Amino acid sequence: MAIIERPATEPVVAPTPTPAPIVTPSEAFGTFRRPVETTGWRAWVFTVDHKKIGVMYGAAALFFFVVAGLEALLIRAQLAGPEGTVLSADVYNQMFTMHATTMIFLFAIPMAAGLANYLVPLQIGARDVAFPRINAFGFWCFLAGGIVLNLSWFLGGAADGGWFMYQPNASVPFSPTNGVDFWALGLQIAGIASLTGAINLIVTILNMRAPGMSLMRMPVFTWMILVTQFLLVFAIPVITVAFFLLTFQRSFDAAFFSPAAGADPLLWQHLFWIFGHPEVYILVLPSFGIVSEVLPVFSKKPLFGYPFVVFSGIAIGFLGWGVWAHHMFASGLGPVSVAVFATATMAIAVPTGVKIINWTLTMWGGKLRFTTAMLFAMGLVVQFTIGGLSGVTHSVAPSDTQQTDTYYIVAHFHYVLFGGSVLGFFAGFYYWWPKVFGKCLSERLGRWNFWLMIIGMNLTFGPMHILGLQGQPRRMYIWTTERSGEGFFNLGFWNLVSSIGAFILAVGVLFFLTNIVHTHRKGAPAPLDPWDARTLEWITTNPPKEHNFDRVPTVSHLDEFFHRKYEDVGEGDAHDLRAVATAEEVLAAEQAQADAQIHMPSPSYWPIVVAATLPVIALGIIYGVYIVSIVGALLMVFGIFGWAMEPGTAPDSDFDPSPVDDGGPTTELVRSE
Amino acid sequence: MSDAATLEAQVAHDDHGDHGGHGGNGAGHPPTTTGLSHNKLGMWLFLGSECLLFGGLISTYMLYRGRASENLGPDQIYDLPFTSVSSFVLLMSSLTMVLAVSAAGRKDVRNVKLWLTVTALLGATFVGGQVYEFTSFYREGLGFTTSLFSSSFYALTGFHGVHVSVGIIMLLAVVGMISRDRIPGDRAEVVELVGLYWHFVDIVWIVIFTLVYLIPA
Amino acid sequence: MLAVGAIAAVTLTACAEDAPQDTWQPEGENSTRIHNLQWPVFAIAGVVGLLVFLAIVWVVIRYRDRGQPIPKQSHGKPALEIALTILPALILVGVAVPTVGTLMALAETDDTECSVNVYGQQWWWEVEYPEQKGCGGIDREFVTSGQMVIPTGTKVLVSGTSRDVIHSWWIPALNGKKDMVPGRVHTVRTQADEPGIYAGQCTEFCGLSHANMRMEVVALDPGDFETWKANQLKPYAAPEEGSIAAEGESAFISQCARCHVVDGLDDGGVNAPEQFVYSRTAPNLTNLMTRNTFAGATFDLLTDECRERVWEATPEEFGERYLEGVTPECLNEVDLRAWIKNAPAMKPMYTDGTKLGPTDGRSRGMPALGLNDDQADQLVAYLLERN
Repeated sequence: MAIIERPATEPVVAPTPTPAPIVTPSEAFGTFRRPVETTGWRAWVFTVDHKKIGVMYGAAALFFFVVAGLEALLIRAQLAGPEGTVLSADVYNQMFTMHATTMIFLFAIPMAAGLANYLVPLQIGARDVAFPRINAFGFWCFLAGGIVLNLSWFLGGAADGGWFMYQPNASVPFSPTNGVDFWALGLQIAGIASLTGAINLIVTILNMRAPGMSLMRMPVFTWMILVTQFLLVFAIPVITVAFFLLTFQRSFDAAFFSPAAGADPLLWQHLFWIFGHPEVYILVLPSFGIVSEVLPVFSKKPLFGYPFVVFSGIAIGFLGWGVWAHHMFASGLGPVSVAVFATATMAIAVPTGVKIINWTLTMWGGKLRFTTAMLFAMGLVVQFTIGGLSGVTHSVAPSDTQQTDTYYIVAHFHYVLFGGSVLGFFAGFYYWWPKVFGKCLSERLGRWNFWLMIIGMNLTFGPMHILGLQGQPRRMYIWTTERSGEGFFNLGFWNLVSSIGAFILAVGVLFFLTNIVHTHRKGAPAPLDPWDARTLEWITTNPPKEHNFDRVPTVSHLDEFFHRKYEDVGEGDAHDLRAVATAEEVLAAEQAQADAQIHMPSPSYWPIVVAATLPVIALGIIYGVYIVSIVGALLMVFGIFGWAMEPGTAPDSDFDPSPVDDGGPTTELVRSE
Repeated sequence: MSDAATLEAQVAHDDHGDHGGHGGNGAGHPPTTTGLSHNKLGMWLFLGSECLLFGGLISTYMLYRGRASENLGPDQIYDLPFTSVSSFVLLMSSLTMVLAVSAAGRKDVRNVKLWLTVTALLGATFVGGQVYEFTSFYREGLGFTTSLFSSSFYALTGFHGVHVSVGIIMLLAVVGMISRDRIPGDRAEVVELVGLYWHFVDIVWIVIFTLVYLIPA
Repeated sequence: MLAVGAIAAVTLTACAEDAPQDTWQPEGENSTRIHNLQWPVFAIAGVVGLLVFLAIVWVVIRYRDRGQPIPKQSHGKPALEIALTILPALILVGVAVPTVGTLMALAETDDTECSVNVYGQQWWWEVEYPEQKGCGGIDREFVTSGQMVIPTGTKVLVSGTSRDVIHSWWIPALNGKKDMVPGRVHTVRTQADEPGIYAGQCTEFCGLSHANMRMEVVALDPGDFETWKANQLKPYAAPEEGSIAAEGESAFISQCARCHVVDGLDDGGVNAPEQFVYSRTAPNLTNLMTRNTFAGATFDLLTDECRERVWEATPEEFGERYLEGVTPECLNEVDLRAWIKNAPAMKPMYTDGTKLGPTDGRSRGMPALGLNDDQADQLVAYLLERN
């Protein structure tokens, strides 16, 4: 991983494979010699490279997306007709619990983390993140959490209390399997990933920007990631407390949520939603960032009202803390609290509306190219608007008491989360695929993917508005003809439509997976700048080198890359943009001034070792075999000491050959392969 | 939270080297955009997050403080003079921590080790006091599951105790690593980071002591 | 397309007639207040959505890349931005003011004239009529389950709690949801304008059979309500000696009385409901045949034909037909017998003895009793007289 630039008097191609950098035992800190492989599985498992970690996040999140999607299909299969028999009540309850949990914690959060990991350093002109090993640790925690969570399927049944896990329904007498224990501890572990990842990304963004990149020159994606990570830093500890209390309740007989002991079950709801509502913005803001990148590129215009978009993102972040009780309008809060939270909820619609308006105005007067990425971004604008507006209808608290816990809410948040988060991610996939993998995804398959997903999602979630207003509650494993009516809006027809829609949606996703395979088998290498992009991540090769930039670019504009390619030669108010440099020329100019010596952080065993101890501790607690937990904890302490004593970057002496002094840098990089 | 708390150690010791690529060559800190080192900024964020963790636990305690079983409520059970003394000990450890940080700034290795050790001892005294307190409460019949009050009391103060214990481990580890010259990166900064954490844990205790012990239920 | 669809859906929903839980057909004061607030908000949302959608369509048509020059790299127009921020804010203020007003009006309960208590339990509702001057005067407390009967035109204070997990009381045509939380008492005002049967469902996820926890409010005009009430309070009538029903009484005492109460029957050993823990008691069956559903309002006690006669009755006919109760000709014997013999096969419940460790072996829900056909006959005969 360590990259040594070998200064030489004349450019040379390394005649023989360069020996791998050797860590001599006498020089090595820590307990083991550090890993040195740069190929094969070890290169991934022990990596601290933000790009590799980003790809692993993405791949794992996509896997969980498919898993949770299959769970959704089972749910829709069960509900396609009255008195469904595909799933039993018990399995159905597990299914919707795990569908939501997986989509939120194992798909949306890590997918955003993956994109952020990969792209934020590139967008701000950094060579890695601030804490590369913590970054790797975060990924392994997320994976460990996901595994613990899903292990429950095979060990007596998954959690069955809904993703909101209301108490006391999720306490032992009412949910006697270990499912909820796996759930609480699995998410606890995944929470560590989110917390460490958030700290890491905030420090990276605040501290590692390229020269000239002031905060108001940062790409909006990076901005939204910054806001999201602040939300995580403050939201995760609250749910951590809730999970601890739940674990104490279930595994150690405390009574935090037992009404019999005088406890107030609403405590759980408050803790959960103080986390849970910021969480909604955690899920959707990264995608807002993505479309704020994609729309300008394919409109050939800067984002309309950049500061407004940034500040509305920050405003959403702040207001997101003051609206949690709108999930509890029916829970028996007093009318005054309800009024306060209802009003705050309406207020949050303002910055959200600002974003929609700005995206529309970005396209207004542009020169639009309807690539797949652009289609997904525009899809987000339209679909999210529907979700946002239905959100306004139940910010009206009295009206919400009719709609809450019905399918109307299911419709609402799927328009927000699928129409917002997921479409945004897909816009990002198509837009950044060439950056990450060096090949463009097929546009032809992409269009199929887009249209099937859009049609599928509207058929799936659109009818749910009707179902909800017709009084079909959520989380019911069956519905009956007795309560479904007979008119045009009868539940039977629209449930069937919704189920058909779900399968169309699934076919859309299948096209995406096919596209990946197709592209990697047959795709041609992507051009350096396939989209005529605007931001810093494109001033490097596709995929980027391990050290990202040969020289850290100096930034003098918002949309730096665009301004290096184009100049406005019009006089006065007239404007006339002319291309002054190709992307290749811009990159060549950067490479011509490559830095003489670049040390990259070195791979390490410790992140995965420490992360691997967490499930051990968790399993010990779940099964009440505390000795296992203690052994796990000791291993963790051992791992942390190993970690602490290992320098982030192996010292110079660890590398061989050592750099020779000489007359000037070259762009020839010798990799330690 | 012990997992997250131990990350503290990692944050403190994660040497960011020069991968920021701002032209540094590995010696000292490369310039950062804000001027704060990565480690320090990361530590502040971590502590910000910890505020919410204790906020959640304190809220739980405040909600349940009145829900005690007979004769085992806060007013009956607390030994205020004893806890005041151990609180004072913990506060004093912040002072010795300041001395350690200042010695680190002067590169006075001997005094760094001395004051870090003293801080750890004071912290250990506090934790010892807490163990004694818990034991005597338990003997009086206040178990973890006795009442909502006891559960939330033990959860809150227990979490704090774990934080102090992790701090002690970190202090001693730093002493050991300084002795054997095993600290990668900036030694003074490592001491300062541990100091930040330690002061935070002390401040949290002041809040807990006030809300839990001083204000009558 | 979508926005239009959404608006169409929203407006047309109001016209649908046959969904018993339609939230857009208010039949009582609270629900009407809610409805008067919600439809304008839906309309505004629909218009805004339509505008955004039209703007996008316009952009797609007008600004697609036809080789036009690269547009000016303008970063926005602050005046326009501010205007477009204030506009939605103003709309929302317009929504917020009536919202708060309605909220306060809905929370008002001082004007109620009749008080009924509900207890949520996995997975049915108990309805309790406490002693009071309201409701035309009740001098002895009595309980029923599944169906709450109220007089029309009367504001009824429903106070509720739960005996185990959180449930939610919701009769869409009459009132919005109110969670019923163990350890707390929540109130909601309810009132029905016309005689009729109003369907509802538990809407807070409450475990295994959440989908099978339903309830109904039956509104009778005050005269009919008095008749119903008097019937509920009539003394226990033992079955004629030597009849099948009399054998049913002893079968009931040996098989059912552990959990089910029939007022006046000397059962011995049925305790008061154990709060908070899990269901131990089961629905009171004193006047089972005056209700037309059972098992959490999940199954009909009436045959399809008879059921239709009641549910489809006009407000004028309704009272009389409801008060007929379940006659032997109208009894849905198939479901009732099946339930008596093997309840868990019909409705998922926690009755598997191997998984009841955490509840000391006590089941939540009705276990399979393993009765033979004769016993079932006897019980059905006995229950038929509980009218």
